[in-house]
Amino acid sequence: MSIIAKRSTCVLIQGITGTAARLHTKNMLDYGTKIIAGTRPGGGGGEVYGVPVYDSVAQAVEKHPNINTTILFVPPKGTKEAALEALNAGIKIVVMVAEHVPLHDNLEILEEGEKKGALVIGPNTPGLISPSEQTKLGFVPSQYFIPGPIGVASRSGTLTYEIVSRLTLNGIGQTTCIGVGGDPIVGTPFPKILRFFQEDPETKAVLLIGEIGGTREEEAAEMIRDRKFTKPVFSYLVGRTAPEGKRVGHAGALIEGNRGTIKSKLASFGEAGVPVADTPADVIRIAKEILKD
Amino acid sequence: MRLYEYEAKEIFQKYGLVIPRGQVVESAEEARPFAFQIGGPVVIKPQVSTKKRGKAGAIRFASDPEEAFRQSQSLLGMTLNHEKISTLLVEEKIEIDKEFYIGMTIDYSSLKPVVIASPLGGVDIEEIAQEKPAMVKKIGFSISKGLTDQDLEEQASIFKPNEQMLMKEVTKKLYQIFRDYDAEMVEINPLALTKQGIAVALDAFLNVDDDSLFRHSNLVKPRGMSQEEFKFEQSLKEKKWKYIEMDRDGEIGILSSGAGITMAILDLIKMHRGRPANFLDTAQMNAEGIYNAFSLFAGNTKLKVLLVNIFAGLNRCDDLAMGIKRYLQEHPLRMPLVVRMIGYREDEGKSILKGINVETIRSLEDSVEKVIQIAKGAR
Repeated sequence: MSIIAKRSTCVLIQGITGTAARLHTKNMLDYGTKIIAGTRPGGGGGEVYGVPVYDSVAQAVEKHPNINTTILFVPPKGTKEAALEALNAGIKIVVMVAEHVPLHDNLEILEEGEKKGALVIGPNTPGLISPSEQTKLGFVPSQYFIPGPIGVASRSGTLTYEIVSRLTLNGIGQTTCIGVGGDPIVGTPFPKILRFFQEDPETKAVLLIGEIGGTREEEAAEMIRDRKFTKPVFSYLVGRTAPEGKRVGHAGALIEGNRGTIKSKLASFGEAGVPVADTPADVIRIAKEILKD
Repeated sequence: MRLYEYEAKEIFQKYGLVIPRGQVVESAEEARPFAFQIGGPVVIKPQVSTKKRGKAGAIRFASDPEEAFRQSQSLLGMTLNHEKISTLLVEEKIEIDKEFYIGMTIDYSSLKPVVIASPLGGVDIEEIAQEKPAMVKKIGFSISKGLTDQDLEEQASIFKPNEQMLMKEVTKKLYQIFRDYDAEMVEINPLALTKQGIAVALDAFLNVDDDSLFRHSNLVKPRGMSQEEFKFEQSLKEKKWKYIEMDRDGEIGILSSGAGITMAILDLIKMHRGRPANFLDTAQMNAEGIYNAFSLFAGNTKLKVLLVNIFAGLNRCDDLAMGIKRYLQEHPLRMPLVVRMIGYREDEGKSILKGINVETIRSLEDSVEKVIQIAKGAR
């Protein structure tokens, strides 16, 4: 079992003919992801690695009613239009990989997603991967992931690879690893992901890879403290030494006043009994300890 | 991107909000005739990117043209929060009856835009919200529908009945600016109510979302930085590089790919009491990218060591090693280099670097310890 990315996931790739989209379509197909169709606005027809290309999402969905998920390989400027097109065509899972999607566009997409009862993942996410289902949505490098009991949610792609590759080396596999996105506003923040992991019987424990900025770690901690999430959780937090008011990489990693500080996150996790690693090696030590019980 | 007050005010005026009569000056001499033209007391405000001008004593009043000249002279050339004051906004002083607050921003918890209003303006709204929460009205609204009549009605209810009509009008105009300019935040603090019942924006704050600047390219210009710094910043943006100077006296340069891992490296370095100087987070690393990235560090004479972190997932160690090799063969590097390399085609990458006498380290923690050792040895 796993969350969101499953064997039953039937994928549309919007903007499938772009260079990056082609590469990752191939990677996803090789891994086992079921890619049903792609779109290229105004220029449908033909195939990409055997995947048929259509003019519009509506057209693709009409031909292939089993499509239930879309991945947007479109630039930030075009993300809003593409996401709304997918939502209007009734697709219920939308993965947005682009970084630098304008804030107002992002808000409009998330509002429409909410209205349509859809799950919007990202923006600024590498996507997600479920090793036991041989399904990945996005561009996470699949060689670092193996099936196992840990659910991983992370605000950073590169840090996920760094940490998960070590879990894998130590024989600790994963149910699903999801990059929630590095922007201040994302469709699936930690609390939402915890609700999915709560429902997944295969997920025995959850690793939250967080960072400074925002209050999603604090909200997740509150859920854990209030027993709304009941499985063991451990965390790794970065940006401890980031200067206030400077964006350290992710747009979301910004400390403003008392908001988003490492201190507040550590305190909340402490209160909820969530162990927090302070080095990558420490993450593995904690993971082993949790799995021992 | 935060606009200067005068720029925000020009936009406010275009949208029908009332602003004081004013003039932008770059010399004290220009302040004199303008104050004369106003024929009464004036306010002189530095146009800088810090919000705390008042607290720093940098907002001045003058009762006549001579004083306006003197005050302008004393402000120009002053430094406020590391920013040299070179531009002033001289405005007529408005007779104030009341001061309100009104602003619009995005609430990152509810994922909604919010309008915030208070009959207590002119002070820090966050302080008011803490001390007198009943005096602050905060309403979330739909980004696609905009402010509804009901939202406006509710928002205005914090003001006296005879002020509500006016505040609704101001709010509607502010909302248009908020949307049209992709604002992260737009704020009038204070919004003055004159005895004649006119609402005047005494200050203006407008922060445009950086990611929307392709829609607002006319607003992109250097603010609080030299032309050279501005060009450098723009060139980074084009390459999608994130480059941050952390510490002028730092010793360690960091070249890495990805925000999260870069933060983790900074944390590890600080944990071992090392001093990071700067870092570059390249969006996607390839041979050419890493070759170009080296140039950012090569000329820095203060750096005692450069740490390059390569975790090849979608890219390739050997490709990146070729980029490093090419750079080093063409340019001598002043400082020692530590390359952490792991991932796809790692052995091939390693042997390429070994061929030019660059050792690679596999573990992130070991590579951090190594750079700290080198930095300490060089002290």
